[in-house]
Amino acid sequence: MTLSADLKKQILQNIDRVGTKGAEYTDARFYTNDDSETLFLYDGNLEANDTNFESGLGVRVLYGGAWGFAATSDAKAFDTCFEQALQNAITASKLVRVPLHMGKKPAHTGKFASPLKQDPFTVPLKEKLEFLSAIDARLKEDWIFKRYVYAEFQKKNIYFFNSEGTQVERSLSNVFAKMMVMALDSDGQMQRRSQDLFTTGKGTRGYEMLTQPELFSAHAERIKDELAQLIKADILEYGKRSVILLPGQGFLQVHETIGHPLELDRILGYELSYAGGSFVDLDSFGKLRYGSDKLTVSAFGSIENSPGSFGFDDEGTPERDYLLIDKGMLVNALSSRAMIDEANQKAGRTVFTESGGAARATAFYRAPIDRMTNVNILPGNDGTLEDIIASTEDGIVLDNPVSWSIGSNREHFHFSCEIAWEVKNGKKTRILRNPSYQGHTVEFYNSLSAVGDASTWHVGQVDNCGKGEPNQIMQLGHGIPVVRFDNVITGERK
Amino acid sequence: MQKNKAHEIICAVRAAAAKRGIDATFTLHCEKSHLMRIGNNSVSLNTSEILTRLDIGVINGRRTGSHTQMGDVTSQEYVEKALQIAVDKAEVASEKDYQPISAIIEAAVDENSQYDKALEQVDPSFKADAYRQIIEKVGESYNFSGSWSSGSVELFMVSTANDLTVYHLATDQDFNVVLKHPKKKWELRQAKTGWRLADFNVNDVVDGFKKLLPVYENHQGFKLEPGEYTVALGSSALAEVLMMACYTGFYGRTYEEKQGWTSKNKKGDKVLGSNINLIDDPTDDKTFTFGFDLAGKTRALFPLVKDGVMQNMMYDIHTAAKYGRELTGHTGGSTSIVMQPGSALPDLLAAVKDMGRVIYIPALHYLNMSNPSQGVFTGSSRFNAVLIEDGKVVGPIFSSRITDSFQNVFGNVRLISSEAESVNLSNTYGRRMPEASSMPGYVVAEKVKITDSADSF
Repeated sequence: MTLSADLKKQILQNIDRVGTKGAEYTDARFYTNDDSETLFLYDGNLEANDTNFESGLGVRVLYGGAWGFAATSDAKAFDTCFEQALQNAITASKLVRVPLHMGKKPAHTGKFASPLKQDPFTVPLKEKLEFLSAIDARLKEDWIFKRYVYAEFQKKNIYFFNSEGTQVERSLSNVFAKMMVMALDSDGQMQRRSQDLFTTGKGTRGYEMLTQPELFSAHAERIKDELAQLIKADILEYGKRSVILLPGQGFLQVHETIGHPLELDRILGYELSYAGGSFVDLDSFGKLRYGSDKLTVSAFGSIENSPGSFGFDDEGTPERDYLLIDKGMLVNALSSRAMIDEANQKAGRTVFTESGGAARATAFYRAPIDRMTNVNILPGNDGTLEDIIASTEDGIVLDNPVSWSIGSNREHFHFSCEIAWEVKNGKKTRILRNPSYQGHTVEFYNSLSAVGDASTWHVGQVDNCGKGEPNQIMQLGHGIPVVRFDNVITGERK
Repeated sequence: MQKNKAHEIICAVRAAAAKRGIDATFTLHCEKSHLMRIGNNSVSLNTSEILTRLDIGVINGRRTGSHTQMGDVTSQEYVEKALQIAVDKAEVASEKDYQPISAIIEAAVDENSQYDKALEQVDPSFKADAYRQIIEKVGESYNFSGSWSSGSVELFMVSTANDLTVYHLATDQDFNVVLKHPKKKWELRQAKTGWRLADFNVNDVVDGFKKLLPVYENHQGFKLEPGEYTVALGSSALAEVLMMACYTGFYGRTYEEKQGWTSKNKKGDKVLGSNINLIDDPTDDKTFTFGFDLAGKTRALFPLVKDGVMQNMMYDIHTAAKYGRELTGHTGGSTSIVMQPGSALPDLLAAVKDMGRVIYIPALHYLNMSNPSQGVFTGSSRFNAVLIEDGKVVGPIFSSRITDSFQNVFGNVRLISSEAESVNLSNTYGRRMPEASSMPGYVVAEKVKITDSADSF
């Protein structure tokens, strides 16, 4: 779907009109369509067969150092929407102790489209259901108590305009999928194994990604086999040992304890009343040894196939590849224009030279905030998973989260996982159930002792990262290799 | 009860669909939402949204499809088009191995008893002025952040099963403000909730901070070593834990599928301490009340736990269909979970003066279930958490993690406050759908497991 010339003219005229009334900066995002489709097969029954269509306009106005935002799904109410956003900004400007500024940027134009061969919305529903049903049939066994397979497709066309003259057009597509099998263990407690659709970072992200066996369906038999062993396994005993995180667990570790603490709006205190703050402060950049020298973390990471690759953020800033952590040293944050301006003023020095292109909004009716993009641990030189296991004396290999709970400043954490494999003297010995581990973020990353090579690295897709008020769900990616941490508290104290 | 043109249009399409033999449910959700956010003693966002969503669900034999569309309902054609999408989806869908239950409006409902026009139309400058007063009266040297969500929800629902309609109009607000010491890093919070604008009082907020500040300003933080403690959970922490206990223990889905902590029990079994009573009470004005659920079922008083004994399971329309159970009024929408107050003094410090050392945790951050089958949850303390000794506040505690089971915590409750408080549980993901619970001001439980603590707040 495209934006009509009349609507575009109306948007541009309104941006000018608001400017004449004193707005320092205005931007508008018009979604011609924001479509999603969810298909959920539970025990073979199609429990969700849903579509959701949205379209509308979101307007953000900066006036007197304060933001006003308004949104409408009514195409006849565009003028009113701009006026409401302006009025909201004027009201907000009555309570400003720290004025926000966008800084000046030259106008630019741009286009971005997620790489895809086959738009999932053009694939007949019948075909999609046949594909998922075939996977479901492979998961079905008498001893498996519950099973599910689902897929979610998203497509949005967004037109961005701002008062600097920038115009950006984007067409974003996402495909998410997951399968899970569950069975009762010897204590009558439910155990599970699952597999999410992941990417190699390369290729296209249309319907064809879902149907690539190695990225999804080929794992059906493996998770069944692992579950069969898991329900007969011993429980992990409490103790300190090494933990080797597979990418299926490592992505969430990075998400919660590197991604969120490095969102600049959190660091500056804008999320205190809800999502929380960060143990990182402005003095930490260039000084805090976040992890061992094996830890190098990038933002965006030039990944062509990820939900965290979107061309331009919701302020029109082009995505760029940069490091957040360089050989253990904290060097940058996930940021937007107003936040870096405020951070530099607050610090009295230039901590950040340019926006990290991380201003993102979940829908036309939400204002952009600092979000994760792709936050990735770069591959290391410690070989394959087998090599890392071979060099581990006493540890466990962990995969896939069951629960996660993080301290309000992201300073400590507790995770439980679906499965653990015990490692003794360089060898995988047995499967263990109910595994969990906990730690303190900086201490944990400084215990990073091995980082797998590129053969162990893949992109975990996140479809449900929550943040902000009003709350916003965001899609993003994490490129993660196999990683090992030493001397970690695992299991639950008796 | 048709309130406006959109309702008339939906009823007309419903009638035509019924004539065609279509089994469909139509739900119109209209919200007027406003949210002001504060950060660094300034308004950081002032946002208003007026959004309308039409949900249509269709059952075709054992096949189902649904479609949601955002936009104003201004013509019959608009609704018919959306209906056709759902009809087409149901046509192609695979058959379930059970018969889905059709939504039927059980009784006509027209409710607006929790609607306050003053709250729906509150001028954002009222909110900005309240925050300004708080900042000025408590102290500009602190860093204030917060959010204040308010608005109204209109729900209108019909199905092709009959001609009845249900209509709900209500307002709600969720106010909070966090004070952070710029150097010492501790955080204090005040929160207010309710469906009336008058439920908010700026002086109460200021007084709340002034009462807590000396404790934090004059004492260092305490780091708790892992171990078992006597812990007082405030109403907010209590609501968080109990809602998770309900979700994983008293919902039909988790129970039937043996995924929760009550899976090995049956109705009539004692699952919590004898002094624990939980009900879903959609008439309790400390909660946001809904007289019907999104299957058209009339909601009524629904006991969950009486004297520690499990009474009932809550079933949504999909689970009820799959497992052959009766509908209980728990399809979508919001619950009104109430924990019955006890007999302890409302003043926590007076109530625990003979109990020695007590850790007071008013709120928990990032609660999650580390082992749903065992009822094990984990979360860490946040905001206003203090160490009490012999009824006197000794000082604040550093961020501390509880990892324990529902059975242990609610099997060892020694005191329950005699006063109930409203706890807002709403989120602002997606559409506006307020939810609140009514909780005792605190409970004091013994032998609660603290498993970790940070070196800071």
